[in-house]
Amino acid sequence: MKRAACVALALAHFAAASLFGAPAAPLTTDFTEKYCAKCHNDIDKEAGLDLTTLAFTPGDPANFQTWVKVHDRLQAGEMPPKEKARPEGTETTRFLQSLATTLTKQEQETIAREGRATRRRLNGYEYENTLRDLFNAPWLQIKGQFPDDGEAHRFNKIGDALDVSHVHMARYMGAADYAIRQILSGQLERPPTTTQRYYARDQRTLTSKFTPNSFNSSPDRMTYPVIGSTAQPDVRFGRVPLTVGDADPKNRDLEAVGWVSSNYVTGFTYRWDGFRAPVAGRYRIRFNGYTLWAAPGGVAMRFANERDKTGTPRPPNPNVPNYDRISPGKRDEPVTVYTRNGIMNRRVGEFDLTPEAAVHDIGEVWLLANETLVPDASRLYRSRPSNFRNPHMTPEGAPSVAFRWMEVEGPLYDETSTAGYRLLFGDLPLRKVPDGKVGGVTLSVVARGERRDGGRNAGQRIVPLEDVAVEVVSKNPRRDAERLLTALVARAYRRPVKAGEVTRFLALFDDRTKAGLSFTEAMIASYTAVLASPGFVFLDEKPGRLDTYALATRLSLFLWNSEPDARLRTLAASGELRRPEVLRAETERLLADPKARRFVDAFLDYWIDLRKIEDTTPSTTLYNDYYLDDALTEAALAETQLFFAALLRDNLPARNLVQSDFTFLNGRLASHYDIPGVSGAAMRRVALPDGSPRGGLMTQASVLKVTANGTTTSPVLRGKWIVERILGHEIPPPPVAVPAVEPDIRGAVTIRQQLAKHSADASCAACHRKMDPPGFALESFDVMGAWRDRYRGVSPDKPGEKGLGKNGHPFEWHYGLPVDSAGELPDGRPFANVREFKQLILGSETQVAGNLARQLAIYATGAPVRFSDRPQIDAIVKAAQPQAYGVRSLVLALVQSDLFLTK
Amino acid sequence: MSHSPQPSPRVPFVSTRRALSRRRFLQGTGIALSLPFLESMLPTFARAASSSSPLAPGAKPRRMLGICNNLGLLPDLFFPTGKGRDYQPSPYLHLLQQHRQDFSVFSGVSHPNVDGGHPADICFLTAAPHPGSSSFRNTISLDQHIAERIGILTRFPSLTLGVNTRTRSLSWTGTGVAIPPEDKAADVFKQLFIQGTPAQVEAQIRKLDTGRSILDTIAGQAKELERSVTARDRDRLDQYFTSVRDLENRLQASRGWEKKPKPVVKAAVPVDPASSAAYMEKVKVMYDLARLAFETDSTRSITLMLDSVSTPVLEIPDTKITDGYHNLSHHGKSTEKRSQLKTIDELHMKLLADLIGNLKAVREGEESLLDRTMVLYGSNFGDANQHTCFNMPTILAGGGFKHGQHLGFDTAQNYPLPNLFVSMLQRMGLEEDRFASSTGTMRGLELA
Repeated sequence: MKRAACVALALAHFAAASLFGAPAAPLTTDFTEKYCAKCHNDIDKEAGLDLTTLAFTPGDPANFQTWVKVHDRLQAGEMPPKEKARPEGTETTRFLQSLATTLTKQEQETIAREGRATRRRLNGYEYENTLRDLFNAPWLQIKGQFPDDGEAHRFNKIGDALDVSHVHMARYMGAADYAIRQILSGQLERPPTTTQRYYARDQRTLTSKFTPNSFNSSPDRMTYPVIGSTAQPDVRFGRVPLTVGDADPKNRDLEAVGWVSSNYVTGFTYRWDGFRAPVAGRYRIRFNGYTLWAAPGGVAMRFANERDKTGTPRPPNPNVPNYDRISPGKRDEPVTVYTRNGIMNRRVGEFDLTPEAAVHDIGEVWLLANETLVPDASRLYRSRPSNFRNPHMTPEGAPSVAFRWMEVEGPLYDETSTAGYRLLFGDLPLRKVPDGKVGGVTLSVVARGERRDGGRNAGQRIVPLEDVAVEVVSKNPRRDAERLLTALVARAYRRPVKAGEVTRFLALFDDRTKAGLSFTEAMIASYTAVLASPGFVFLDEKPGRLDTYALATRLSLFLWNSEPDARLRTLAASGELRRPEVLRAETERLLADPKARRFVDAFLDYWIDLRKIEDTTPSTTLYNDYYLDDALTEAALAETQLFFAALLRDNLPARNLVQSDFTFLNGRLASHYDIPGVSGAAMRRVALPDGSPRGGLMTQASVLKVTANGTTTSPVLRGKWIVERILGHEIPPPPVAVPAVEPDIRGAVTIRQQLAKHSADASCAACHRKMDPPGFALESFDVMGAWRDRYRGVSPDKPGEKGLGKNGHPFEWHYGLPVDSAGELPDGRPFANVREFKQLILGSETQVAGNLARQLAIYATGAPVRFSDRPQIDAIVKAAQPQAYGVRSLVLALVQSDLFLTK
Repeated sequence: MSHSPQPSPRVPFVSTRRALSRRRFLQGTGIALSLPFLESMLPTFARAASSSSPLAPGAKPRRMLGICNNLGLLPDLFFPTGKGRDYQPSPYLHLLQQHRQDFSVFSGVSHPNVDGGHPADICFLTAAPHPGSSSFRNTISLDQHIAERIGILTRFPSLTLGVNTRTRSLSWTGTGVAIPPEDKAADVFKQLFIQGTPAQVEAQIRKLDTGRSILDTIAGQAKELERSVTARDRDRLDQYFTSVRDLENRLQASRGWEKKPKPVVKAAVPVDPASSAAYMEKVKVMYDLARLAFETDSTRSITLMLDSVSTPVLEIPDTKITDGYHNLSHHGKSTEKRSQLKTIDELHMKLLADLIGNLKAVREGEESLLDRTMVLYGSNFGDANQHTCFNMPTILAGGGFKHGQHLGFDTAQNYPLPNLFVSMLQRMGLEEDRFASSTGTMRGLELA
């Protein structure tokens, strides 16, 4: 009786037109009582759900979600179970409609009041890009200064998770101050554009490795002087000068320095220490070099201790290179170019070194002040103690590279080079102030002139920046302050500045001037306040239809991860942006801009976890062949980014996310995938051979790496990942008491055998039959995404396969049990392998497109897709249907939807 | 000269007192310490905090000293046998046995994904992955994480010390920049205990006031914005506003320190050994300095990088060391080299025993200084000869834990050492459940 009363009460609310008890629709009154409450009652509480006492209070988010779950299970036909009494189709439809209407109405009331999105601040990516664009200073490094942004619904764009603490406030102020000083530094030093050649023979970092010492006695870590393929032992042992010098330009151009190893970043490095970017800016970089071949049988020196300066030769060793016996290169070597400044290494380009000497232009790159460059022959030996043995050494010798020079053209200026300073200080002059004079602000700059380290590890240390005090000269400080602050606030705020809004910042200027600060100091303080103020840091969206400024901001944060540019601001000011065709054209314009790559990278960083690609390390026990292989990881990351960018650019169907006939590869990744005919460092679009298991996201090495742990793979974790990210079903977390299944790397049982109990236990099976199958299909791929037929394992009882890591360290594993990648979908359709699995999933094309639309909507609007938003997602998908759910079409349709156009 | 590559480590309005700066030279004489001015400030910070907060009035001071010897210790002579409270001390741990109940020793622990050999020393307190990789960037260190939260309680939010190093540092700011270590104990002593000039104090105060004025300006805008938004949005803006006020209060507290006379101590200015070969003596001087800094409550967070790698042939009275420390560490199982290393390692253990003993000898309220000071001793190297960064030798002494045990974990699949950092943060009274790659708190380590 009690139960019936509760149900009646619940259902009365249920179908009610409002929360306050209009009469229930007749057909739904006894629906749950009739079909659900036999199991979901106060005694059985099947799946923890008691529908007999569940109130209908959708204002409470938890209660709302429960009813959404009831709706979804029923709609999917999963409930009631097949063996139980099931309602007629029409009965279900009417119940669902009634429930959906009520839930929708309830939710829409909240949305009308508050908006879908919670007001949020810029995240670290957005703040960094915004300052870069505001000041035309793409080199600014800001994101890393902030604590990690909170994440909700998988993205770093949701207001409810983007918290602010006193630490953030300190970092906002620090970041703004850093950016302003960077702009001043760039203005202070404007060295003329030159093209300068930095000969390898002049680099102490390179030539100090000609001879060994007690700290660097491994021949593989040495360098050698060479001309063409003729070794120069006299130069090496200091019997003749390092170079013929500028007097003999013809031969000077031919002198080279060779080596056989890749970098050991902090241990030894093949860095051009003679060059340091004098100011932050654009530079064009070229290298001249070629590949060589070093014969075996070199002589390593033994040093008794640190006081031993000469050493004793060991017998000739077939495992070490002989730098007196050099011959022409036998193959190309990929070279990755990194920057170095002592705290940060950035990848800026790549090229292929060939046996014929050639100039390799890596194009224009942004450098920070004091950065220099390192060409890393990435395929070569990455020596690590305690075992020094070059894995590439054969009885015939080992590959080597040689460089003649690096040429730097720059700094390159254009009309934007001074834009940042002009925004801050207009045409007021900037000058150095004498030491001791008060009122200057301190900048860190690259000291002029030759400043290098000498001694044992010559050139190893990066010479630090020096401080210099500067000031901006104003004849009429108060008037300049008002003029400049008004201009900056107008430019920095992404909405019209209200009357009197600048007064606040001007008052700060006055207050600080009164306290004794100079014009420059007080201006920096005021600008810092603007860039840390809520008007800058927070989005300005009000419930209901977004105004055109908020719309412009939402669009640019979506596709550029940054502030709107001048054109968008103009269209916002005129109201033109409101017109659908203008909005569409702007969407196309933003997508066509190189800045759209920020969207691709940031979206993938979160949607499919690419930001975590370095979070795990390949096990040195099982997968030492992947350990330290930066080139492979970098290529894997680039593949996915280029792939998604291509889908977007060419409006390719969303089905490509599941299966495509092309991907992006370079030589390293192609050999990882066992795809012939691709060589070299550059990534390019490659048509996949027939029958290739590759194509689509889930068989890309990046995805397979972020879903593994470096040692083993779990079909459960990978499967859940695919089901959630690609197909869009959220899987609830496992019951608390269930321990994770630990794969057994001794190879006695496969993970599938261990998982068999999941299908045996009905309560486990409910979820696992959905999430395990994709994981089973992906069992054919190891922790780095290479194809495997058998698992790798380690066991002292079995004979091992022997391998050598990039670090030359030997490792042993044995082939364990064969991989079984067969399975069946929840609906019973079987697949034998990953190709068949992908074919089956292609049948759910609409679902894949719908999921992508949903992920894009969350990312773009900073709000979850709620129950009542679903019809709009369906409409977006439908709008893209004529283009076979093209990825670009989905984006365009999303931007025109009410989801995007309202808060 | 600045030690700052970009981005600049200076956060001029906020962290002016973040670390002792070598550039700041100070003169003048000490004045007796008067009543702690902070008591009037503290209620502001205790706003949202429970009584267990380190910022709450009357909260017990909690401190941390992190020491990394970047060549480690011979593992076979360091790790004990048996687990739990009945473990058998190793030869090295025998030297600490008079303090057996005051420390825990850990085995089978390391920082996940921190590899790369020598470069990993700078990750000892950050646990940032892959210090040897081409795209490495360091993250905030434990001591700086603490300093950011409770640094206002003391004159110096933290001290970054080093022996035989001018560049390698255990302390890294949230902006991924190293704080240059101080390697002259005498300089640090002067900054701790000798007053600055009025002009220096004024300049410092002006900086802090500028920070406060900025915050005041933006707080005003936040309050105004709050009026025109919906309830859910107001909650977000209010959090921003609260954070602004929180930082303002911190700057206010910093300002108080600038005007406050420095403590007077009886100890003489330490004498720094001139030669880096007198490494052991330098270590002792730094240990004494750290104790003194804690005793005067000048800071609650200290790091000490023992840069053994940059140490030449050691000069130790009555002992013959024939090779540089780094070369000895690559002993290749040579009996001679191992025996010399053992001599050095044992000295490390004896100095650590003295440090523990000295901290225990100082009373603070009802307890000893050791009871309120966590001393973390360890190394990035599990085995310097092998250049391996797993199975890191780790000791935690003092701090008010139930010690006297060996927490032994799987030496093949290491337990995450950042979990110990989470336990340490919680011991500091901070409500934190994560640090770097932690997965929880240190299993088996309980509060006393």
